[in-house]
Amino acid sequence: MPKSMLITGASKGIGAATAERFFYADNDVTDFILLARESEEFEKLIARLGGDNPHGKKVYPHFIDLNDRARIVGLMHDVMNEAGKVDYLVNNAGYTAPSALQQIDFIDFERTIGVNLYAPFTIVQELLHCGNTFELIVNIASTAGMGGRPGWLTYGASKAAVINMSEAMKDELSIYGTRVVCISPGRCATDLRRTLAPDEDPTTIMQPEHVASVIDMLASDVGHLVDSQNLVVRQ
Amino acid sequence: MYSLMLLNGGIGSRVAAGRPKQFIDVAGRPIIVYSLVAADAVPEIDQIVLNYPEGFLQTIQDLVADYAIQTPVTYVPAGASRHESVAAMLPECRNDRVLIHESARPLVGAADFKQLVSDPRENVSLMLPIPFTVAPVDPENARVTGSLERDRLRNVQLPQKFSKADLAAAHDKAREEHLVFTEDATLVAVTGHEVHYIDGQDTNIKVTTPTDVKLAGFLLAGDDDDA
Repeated sequence: MPKSMLITGASKGIGAATAERFFYADNDVTDFILLARESEEFEKLIARLGGDNPHGKKVYPHFIDLNDRARIVGLMHDVMNEAGKVDYLVNNAGYTAPSALQQIDFIDFERTIGVNLYAPFTIVQELLHCGNTFELIVNIASTAGMGGRPGWLTYGASKAAVINMSEAMKDELSIYGTRVVCISPGRCATDLRRTLAPDEDPTTIMQPEHVASVIDMLASDVGHLVDSQNLVVRQ
Repeated sequence: MYSLMLLNGGIGSRVAAGRPKQFIDVAGRPIIVYSLVAADAVPEIDQIVLNYPEGFLQTIQDLVADYAIQTPVTYVPAGASRHESVAAMLPECRNDRVLIHESARPLVGAADFKQLVSDPRENVSLMLPIPFTVAPVDPENARVTGSLERDRLRNVQLPQKFSKADLAAAHDKAREEHLVFTEDATLVAVTGHEVHYIDGQDTNIKVTTPTDVKLAGFLLAGDDDDA
């Protein structure tokens, strides 16, 4: 049966790598709902998928700032109208503004929690309210959420919350047969990582495609054998 | 197609003081949600007739909305007794075949309903063998009065399914003859209709005490006994 996949933070990094991996594979995922802020990278990805579509799949791109909770609520109803359902959800979008405790701008803290925690929660809750039954939800957390690190207070706290939320989500959505997996990537060559570790050579660490391949595995038959509340992925 | 009569009107003073037991949380969510979600996953159920204790209609409707139950729900005020509740709910059932369940059994699964639906017989109840000995007694004198054959007894469970006509006739007769039954399989059988049983799951417990709430939560957590 044709399946649909919603990916947040789809314009680049793990989100784009996941979209492209599933889009170009000859699989049963036919509809892609891609969410990201308006950007040149996102425009290029949409054009790339539109221009090279070997399996005739559908792409529904949406420009959205995931810190805008009211817009998410409205958008989920639009998503249900256009795609009918969301089988796979990849909550990937992330935000960080690393800073020492004394220097944290509270607006940045709120934005970090808004994008990293409230947005995935709201997407799941609104789609459930629309009557959607997920097959698989992948929440992208971080190894930074598994232990506090100086300078990453806001980001680490938000990802710790994502790990905890995923555990509750896993148990609560089991009545629908929904699988919920939390992935905590270690160092991965994304823009967000560059913000956290600007001096690091990105070619020496895990690539977004590696994480995308793990998500691909989770959606496969083998993925049904993975029972993990927090899957650490690192190179 | 089937109408599901979901009995939800009783006030469970044994479980939770101050609020009806169907609103207590088991494993983090109201106990009634489990039955609603299980029934919602059964395509043969195209109507849920749900009764509610006085003053709790909005609460029930909010739950049905929050959990996005897709099957149309008909709301009926609870009667003073089980017989009165069923008598009020039956006319609201639009199908000739009905299922009965109670929200106090949260471990019901879609498979339980499907097992009944796929049974070719009209009146069928889930039941369990009794693995222990029960004795008939005279409670006034605390005397044992005889013995019962365990093999000829069954623990009556829900859900059950009935022909709407048979169930209505049984309740009419009970009312006329002032018979009081606490469940419907024995009522329908005693009033002259054939009722069959199939084996249910021993996990499908009725939650009536605080200990049951803990036990249900444990069972709902699933198998987690890996070495």
